[in-house]
Amino acid sequence: MKKHISHTSPSFPIADLSDLWQQSLKQKYPIYLFLAICFNLIIAPAVYAANAESFTKFQAYALGLLGIVTLAFSIYLFVVMFQPEKF
Amino acid sequence: MNNSTKLIPSGTRDSRKHTPKASMGGLYQRAVRDAFRKLNPKIAVRNPVMFMVWVGTIVTLLVTIDPNLFGTVKGDPNQERVLNGLITLILFFTVVFANFAEAIAEGRGKAQADSLRTKRSDTIARKVLPDGTIQPTSSTELRRGDLVKVAIGEMIPADGEVIAGLASVDESAITGESAPVLKQAGTDISSSVTGGTRVVSDELTIKISADPGQGFIDRMIALVEGAERTKTPNEIALTVLLTVLTQVFLIVVATITPISNYVNTPTTIAILISLLVALIPTTIGGLLSAIGIAGMDRVAQFNVIATSGRAVEACGDINTLVLDKTGTITLGNRLADEFIPVNGHSLSEVALVALAASIFDETPEGRSIVQLAEQLGAIANFDRTLAKGIDFSARTRMSGTDLPNQIEVRKGAVDAIRGFVRSRSGEVPEEFEAAYEKVSKLGGTPLGICQGSDLYGVIYLKDIVKSGLRERFDQLRRMGVRTIMLTGDNQITASVIAEEAGVDDFIAEATPEDKIEVIRREQSQGKLVAMTGDGTNDAPALAQANVGVAMNSGTQAAKEAANMVDLDSDPTKLIDLVAIGKQLLITRGALTTFSIANDIAKYFAIIPTIFATAGIGTLNVMGLKSPQSAILSALIYNALIIPALIPLALKGVKFRPLTADQLLQRNILLYGLGGVIAPFIAIKFIDILLPIA
Repeated sequence: MKKHISHTSPSFPIADLSDLWQQSLKQKYPIYLFLAICFNLIIAPAVYAANAESFTKFQAYALGLLGIVTLAFSIYLFVVMFQPEKF
Repeated sequence: MNNSTKLIPSGTRDSRKHTPKASMGGLYQRAVRDAFRKLNPKIAVRNPVMFMVWVGTIVTLLVTIDPNLFGTVKGDPNQERVLNGLITLILFFTVVFANFAEAIAEGRGKAQADSLRTKRSDTIARKVLPDGTIQPTSSTELRRGDLVKVAIGEMIPADGEVIAGLASVDESAITGESAPVLKQAGTDISSSVTGGTRVVSDELTIKISADPGQGFIDRMIALVEGAERTKTPNEIALTVLLTVLTQVFLIVVATITPISNYVNTPTTIAILISLLVALIPTTIGGLLSAIGIAGMDRVAQFNVIATSGRAVEACGDINTLVLDKTGTITLGNRLADEFIPVNGHSLSEVALVALAASIFDETPEGRSIVQLAEQLGAIANFDRTLAKGIDFSARTRMSGTDLPNQIEVRKGAVDAIRGFVRSRSGEVPEEFEAAYEKVSKLGGTPLGICQGSDLYGVIYLKDIVKSGLRERFDQLRRMGVRTIMLTGDNQITASVIAEEAGVDDFIAEATPEDKIEVIRREQSQGKLVAMTGDGTNDAPALAQANVGVAMNSGTQAAKEAANMVDLDSDPTKLIDLVAIGKQLLITRGALTTFSIANDIAKYFAIIPTIFATAGIGTLNVMGLKSPQSAILSALIYNALIIPALIPLALKGVKFRPLTADQLLQRNILLYGLGGVIAPFIAIKFIDILLPIA
């Protein structure tokens, strides 16, 4: 059987991208992770600059991320303190 | 204020437990599965203390994979990897053990819910259409207000009120009580029926009172399963305290690195996480929800359904118990013991009038009057079919019969009969007052009896105070709980019964309005009040009370207003519920004290060993072998103490009727001092056993 091939020119899929964007906004945890990594772009160089002799760049980024996780956890604990009924 | 015709269960509290119909087989397997399922971060995030441990586990796992991840380690990386791996494993099991404690408490409820689900099978109901025809309808399609007919052998399709008929109903599916209960229309009690129970004689016409999924069994399933479980105020307060402690220790541990570097004792991330986990109150953090769920379960095992954990907890904080005399303090069935004639009437005349006044009275008291009158030779000398029975009402406080010859015979509360006689232009002689005072002083209930304006005498209804109540009230008094007895009896009778039973206060000649009044008065003084009730007239007071326990034999209105329903319809259970509530609070308090006291030993195990080079090695009072061994010992103790305390969390600390001060002293000594000493011994013991130098 002969396949029918469409020869219409593919237009830029704005609607599809918009849908994807809307979908991605619903995924909270990947967004948080992405923001943490972005934030780490500011923190990690500072960690590296302060201790360049004792850390590799990779270690500075890992430590920066750990610092952000600690800060996030501290914020989470404050949320629990002030809105305990939500947990 | 009704007199339940149901027999009051007797015996000790434990002997009366009969709800555990649910099979507990497979409980542990299910709990183990649930313990791992609860590792899902979305569930774990609800418990801040254990979530902290869970996040710590992930971080230590990362440093197990690459020990140099957060900084180059000084020693052998492989040795470091082994230590980090062991820490990860212990932390992981700490979280799993805490989840297991919660899962096992929930598992018991789920097993009960599964057992209840089997009772909820769909049935084909015979729905009565507006034109009177019968239409077979699935029970799931019935709505509030629909009428159904249920005959012998059929299952009642949904909760409702009996509007016609009289039948025996087997309620063992929900109460565990094998004896069928009589249900009939038009009575304040015994007219509500529950879906899933079975009619075992005759036929009933029922008006459905609950939509599908909203019935009594559905609510029970949701409750025992924990689907509607919300944190109680005390749990919320404790969660905040634990979170504050976690926050403080997180800040301390996160900022310890510069200090350790300053004293030339650099620490690794895994050691810092170990220190943090050892310092935060993981024991109570892991057991907190299990204690709450187990409290609900204890109440359910006791055949009481609580609408929320808040209600169970409130039982423990109760300051005042408002108790009905009849059925709670005295045995429900008062029996006629003697007729005392007045106004020159003979004993046989009084017996004849008493018989006429009670001939339509189906209460145990009424039947006992008929029996006593017949023993004295009285025979009804009128046509029953032409006479009219006058029911007792809380308002008139008397009942009787209108005889065919228009003569009214009445019996009832003495002042009600006095008022009735005077309203018919009759006289109340002095000897009547003397007769009723004589009965009252004996602790009996006097009932006046008259025929029209002619006063005939007094019936002596013998009241029997339940055995062992005085000791129970003494216990409650020691715990700071005040008991108030409410009775429709006169002042003298009430005072004699109050004295005999040992209640703190009583209200005589009480009307249903007095009940709500006394609750409001106590609450205005900042006290928490508990009460029981079964009738529609009790519903406002049940709703007003902090803990309202409705009897299962009571009306739908009472059950909906109350926050607990007693399936055995035993009003004395309120006293047991106070004990269960207090036990829940004491258990939580004891384990919190123990958990926080544990921190001291863990602190002394870890800090002096990791900072030994900074000159605080002398604080290593336990003489632990090495920092590695100290950390592992403290963490192993930290993990094992959770499963070790699961039985105590589920069973509850043994309840002792002591004052708040005595309890505090005892708890500080046992769980505070014990919580300090026990881990010192346990950590040292684990340190000796560990094959680490």
